[in-house]
Order: sequence, then structure tokens, then C-alpha cells
Amino acid sequence: MTNKIEFLSEPPAVVVNNVSMAYRVPTSDNAASTGLLRSIRRAIGNRPMVDVHALQNISLVVGRGESVGIIGRNGSGKSTLMKLINGRVPPTSGAIYASSRPTLLGVSAALVPDISGEQNIILGCLAMGMSKKDISTKYQGIVELSGLENSIHLPMRTYSSGMASRLQFAIATAVDPEILLIDEALNTGDDQFKGRTKQRMDELLGKAGCVFLVSHSVGTIKEMCTRVVWLDEGELVMDGPADDVIKWYTTFIKHLTSRDRVAAMKTKRRVMNDLVVPHLMARETGRRSTE
Amino acid sequence: MAVPDEKDGAVPTSVDLRTLIKVGVRPHFLDYLVALWDYRHFVFFDAKASVQSGNSRDRLGSIWLILNPVLNGLTFYLIFGVLLQVDRGIENFIGFLIIGVFLFQMSSRSISNGARAIQSNLKVVQAFNFPRATLLLSVNIRELLASVPVIITMLVLILLLEPAEEITWLWFLVVPALLLQTVFNLGIGLILARVVSRVNDVANVISFVMRILMYASCVMFPISLFDPYPTVQEAIEVNPLYQVLTIVRESVLYSEVPSWESWAILGAWALGALAVGMVFFWLAEETYGRDE
Repeated sequence: MTNKIEFLSEPPAVVVNNVSMAYRVPTSDNAASTGLLRSIRRAIGNRPMVDVHALQNISLVVGRGESVGIIGRNGSGKSTLMKLINGRVPPTSGAIYASSRPTLLGVSAALVPDISGEQNIILGCLAMGMSKKDISTKYQGIVELSGLENSIHLPMRTYSSGMASRLQFAIATAVDPEILLIDEALNTGDDQFKGRTKQRMDELLGKAGCVFLVSHSVGTIKEMCTRVVWLDEGELVMDGPADDVIKWYTTFIKHLTSRDRVAAMKTKRRVMNDLVVPHLMARETGRRSTE
Repeated sequence: MAVPDEKDGAVPTSVDLRTLIKVGVRPHFLDYLVALWDYRHFVFFDAKASVQSGNSRDRLGSIWLILNPVLNGLTFYLIFGVLLQVDRGIENFIGFLIIGVFLFQMSSRSISNGARAIQSNLKVVQAFNFPRATLLLSVNIRELLASVPVIITMLVLILLLEPAEEITWLWFLVVPALLLQTVFNLGIGLILARVVSRVNDVANVISFVMRILMYASCVMFPISLFDPYPTVQEAIEVNPLYQVLTIVRESVLYSEVPSWESWAILGAWALGALAVGMVFFWLAEETYGRDE
């Protein structure tokens, strides 16, 4: 235990301060409630509710220009963390700070199915607060990045899921978002699109942005990220350089696939022992003048 | 050194939070109003796009914008004019009915679409960060745009069907009446949109309330039907939608200047609903689009 204080002189892009998240979800397990209440609930089709702890005491400080990969098994809280940073879900406790409202790209296309791709580009850009002039200068670039030159005038409902997510990525990155959260959204794209995506992400990182990437593919994470955060069962297991974390995570998964739960948990515990998390101290307003 | 006690492996980290914003906190009310103005192009584009695409899956396309109220008017004419004979004592009952049905349907559509504005645009809300009240503005501008052919149809029908009315300068009063009606619809939509986004069940109730409101607006019978019940009559007279219908009927059908009381009641409701609706909607701005 050191008494050293980490002093960040550069303002970070995203600060996650001791965040926990518990969902109240319906369960089909009828043991969770009893008696009269249960009969009423069953009659109107409501099911008893239980708390699920999706995340527990997560703290992260992410600087500008960092690309952070999030890995973990199913149900480890990766998507929940993305939604919390995006502000779509309020944390049960703790707080999240960001230099601007983060943009979240999910699997389901956030676009209007009945209008054409072209109209969706304009609508999306306007929804991000771009001016008409900006849109007309960037329009061509968006179409090129999406690779949809041939079908841009067709209604969105005729697009495949890969096409829709490509268009969504192209629109969402058109404003050079400072903070971009990508939740498995790239998996539907083909290899050609993956190349363009990587290029676009590097451009954003060069402009002092930061990118969070959730993926089940360790390969994708290795390619795109410099730093990796490993979550398991809602807990932060490891947070460090991509190669180190991926090495330990792969060992952990290898033990699990060979059904060696004991060895897997041992690996996890060993890594968690070395875990160092930031304990946030908000700098006082007066401090700056004495610097 | 005031290092807070922490668990093992925690490094006290001093961070300058002043340049950061807390995620999920709504802006100040005035900033919000300014932001709404900044997003005006979004509102108009969204409204135009959805007018065009609204009937894109129908063979007759946009013709339904006119066909819908015409068929609706015909149905009510059959029931109330032919079968029930409620037209006793009304001059130009067909015109009376057409105005009632056409204008009421506009409010009914605006309000029920407005109430669902967050739900039906959930993906856009979750993907982009814009002031959510723009969705309500867009719904109402869409209805206003769609109302132009409907109103023209309405006036043409009144001119064509016996007894034909004459065009007077009073017909222009339709425009301010419609604008006030739209402002009222917007205000109510803002209130309902917040309620529905929290308790979706309310959306099921709205159509019933709108039906009661339809009878309370004298869409297809005269207010004199309630002569035996003066309290009911008074209640109907403070109903802003009744006043919209009255203003348009008096100026278009009966060439009378609508009373200032009608304008006052309608105006007060419109501005009151907008003010209350805007504040009420803004108070939950950060919660729209959240996963429950």
C-alpha cells in the first residue's frame, strides 16, 4: 500500500467512479414471491422481480487517444458498462463523467426503416446537431465509408443487417465524436469494412478522441485496442496493456474450455490480486492557481 | 495528507473534473429551449420525411391523407345524419359535420402520435443525443403539413355540397384557429409523452379518452342537445377543441365573427398547455430512451 497520489494533469476523456449497477428483472422462478401477491401477479402476467448485480464497484480513468477493449464472458457486464457510459442507463450508485456525451453504436441499427439511406444520413446528421452546410460537405464521405453507393436511395428496410450497421457507423462517426462506444457493432461487417473501420477509428483517436470496443473476438480487440479491460461476473478483473490482459484472459478461457474450473478461478484470483484501481479525488477548484 | 481509506490495490487519483460533464444530467431549462431552436432543421426534416413515408406502404400512398377524413366524415354522416337524424335545427349539417370530423381527427392524431413519440422513435433517441422535445415538435409539424391538403379538401367539400357557402374574408380565421389548435396539441402531447414513456399502459387509455373528448367537443351534434343539462354545457364550452370547431364553423359556415371568448378560451388553453407541457417534459429529459 503506497501513499503515492496519481496526479493526472491532462483532463481525461471518461471517468467511471465506483459505479455499481443492479437490474430488477422478472424471473420465472416462483419461489421468489409467495401467497396472494403471487396469484395476482400470475393473473395479470407479471412475474416476480429479483435483483441482478450486473456491475460492482467499477472505476476507470480513460485518457484522450486511448482505445479500450472490453472483454469477458457472456453476462460479465460488458454491454451494461457501455450503456452506463452512454447514459442510457443510470447507475445504481457511483457516477460517470465524460468530456462530451458518448456515442453508442449497438447491434441494432438506429435508423428509420421507411425512409431511404440518403434521408437517414441527413436525419442522423441533423440529430447530431450538424448544420446543413456541414452535411453537404460530409455527405459523400459518409456514403463512401458505408460502401452503399448503389443502394443509398433504397428504403432502409431493404438493407441487410451488415449494411445497416455500416451506414450507422458511417453516420455516427461523421461528427468526429470525442467518445465512441462500439458494442459488437462491427461483427456484422465484412473484412473490407473492418479495414475502413480501423482507419476511421485511428483518425478519431488522432483527434484526441477515445474509443471503447466490446467484442467477443479477441482478435478484433488485439487489432484495434491499446488497452484492455477484463470484466467477469460484474467485477473488474484486469485493466492494462492489451497484450498482457489478452494473455491472461486466454489462459483463463483455456482452463474453462477444458472444464478445469479450479484452475480458471485460480488464474482469475491471481490476476485480481494485482489489480490496481484508481480511487478518484476530484481536484479542488482553487488548486489550479497554485500549480 | 487526506488520503481516504480504501481497499487494497487502490491508487488515489487526482482528476480535474471541471472540464467534464456528468453523464445523464439534463441541461438547464433555458439552454434546453435554445437547443430546441438549434435543432429546427432536424424537426422540419423529420416532419417532412415522415409525411412522405407515412403511407409509403399503401398502394394509394399520400391520397390516404385525404381519403381518411373523407371516409370518416361519410361514416359519421350515415350514423348521425341519416340514421339518428341529429341534424334537427342545424343549418348546413353536412358542413357542420365535415368541419367537426376533419378538425377533431387532426387533434386526435397529433395527440396520440405525440404521446407515443418517444416509444416510436426509441432507436433514434438511443443513438443520438438531441433535445427529445424536438420529436414532439416534429409530430405536430408533420400533422400541420398533412393538414394542408385535408383543410383544402374540407373547404372544397363545403363549397361543393348543398347548401353551398360563399367564400368570405372570415375564412382566413381558419389559419390562426389551426395554429392555436396545433400549439394545444403540442402541449398535451408533451405531457402525455412523458407519462407514456414511464407507464406504457397509459397509451391504451388515450384512445378512449379521445373518444369521450370527441363527444364533449360536439363533433357531430349541436351543443343545444345538452340544453337540459346546463353544467354539461358549461363544461363543453371550456373545452378548447369545442372552441376550435365553433370558431371555424362560425366563420366558414355562418359568416359570423367568432366571439372573443372563444379565442380567449382557446388561446389560454394553447399557451397554458405548451408552458406546462414543456416544463413537465423537460423535467424527465435525461430518462427518455432508457432501458427499463
